[in-house]
Amino acid sequence: MSRKLSALALALGILVGAMELKTLVTAHSKSAVIMANGVSPVPIKLPPAN
Amino acid sequence: MCAGVCFVSCSILRASFLKYFFLNFYIILSLFADLLRQFVLRFYGLDSPEYGYAYYYTDCLLTVALFVAVISLASRVFGELNLGRYIRLVAVLLLLGTTAFSYAVVAQSAHRLATMFAFELSQNLYFVGLVLTYLLWGAILKLQESRTRVVQMVLSLGLYFSAYAGSFALANLAPKYVIVQYLGPILGCFLPISWALTIMRHSEDSRLTTARLVAVPR
Repeated sequence: MSRKLSALALALGILVGAMELKTLVTAHSKSAVIMANGVSPVPIKLPPAN
Repeated sequence: MCAGVCFVSCSILRASFLKYFFLNFYIILSLFADLLRQFVLRFYGLDSPEYGYAYYYTDCLLTVALFVAVISLASRVFGELNLGRYIRLVAVLLLLGTTAFSYAVVAQSAHRLATMFAFELSQNLYFVGLVLTYLLWGAILKLQESRTRVVQMVLSLGLYFSAYAGSFALANLAPKYVIVQYLGPILGCFLPISWALTIMRHSEDSRLTTARLVAVPR
């Protein structure tokens, strides 16, 4: 039981840490995006609504 | 793309495909995603919504696959401690938590929910992967993991994530320089090349010792 609670606490800790890091990194961004996969060029803008 | 094919081929030839299945799966998915993106880019152009959809949806899939690859490496590192089951539990909780958080962020923009959700999930999972990789590197140092392949693959992932974060910072600091736009695609080649080199140069039995900090007495 305690191990499951530890796993839950670890997951929450990682999630909070990651979101804090994201907030820190993107706080002063000018709509630039991090896309971390592949060698294709990043699209100029997000696609519009359907 | 050549490095990706090289990595998968070497994995098959050296009987490591199933041992590093999720890494191979990520590279194969990445190859297919690049082919699809190039196809859509050629037919519709860079500023078309079709390319945007293709790019962001495939990126979301690839980020999930990369996250699973990181978890598979963590399972190997913690496997000897019989913690594999808890690592999988943490992975599921992380994926569900990130998905719920991403949905909560984009739920307001109902008119473009699907696109924004894919984009937000991809970004959030990227940062979760970054934190997870650094934690994994810490665990490798602490547990004195000596399998060369595992150590080098985790190091490659750490460098890859860090380089992307660095390129992002550079894009914000110096957006007017053209070279910044090409950093992302250049970095995209790094992971398959480093993994391919690791598979080619080291066997499964190769061992190395991770450096330890030594307090020098005065």
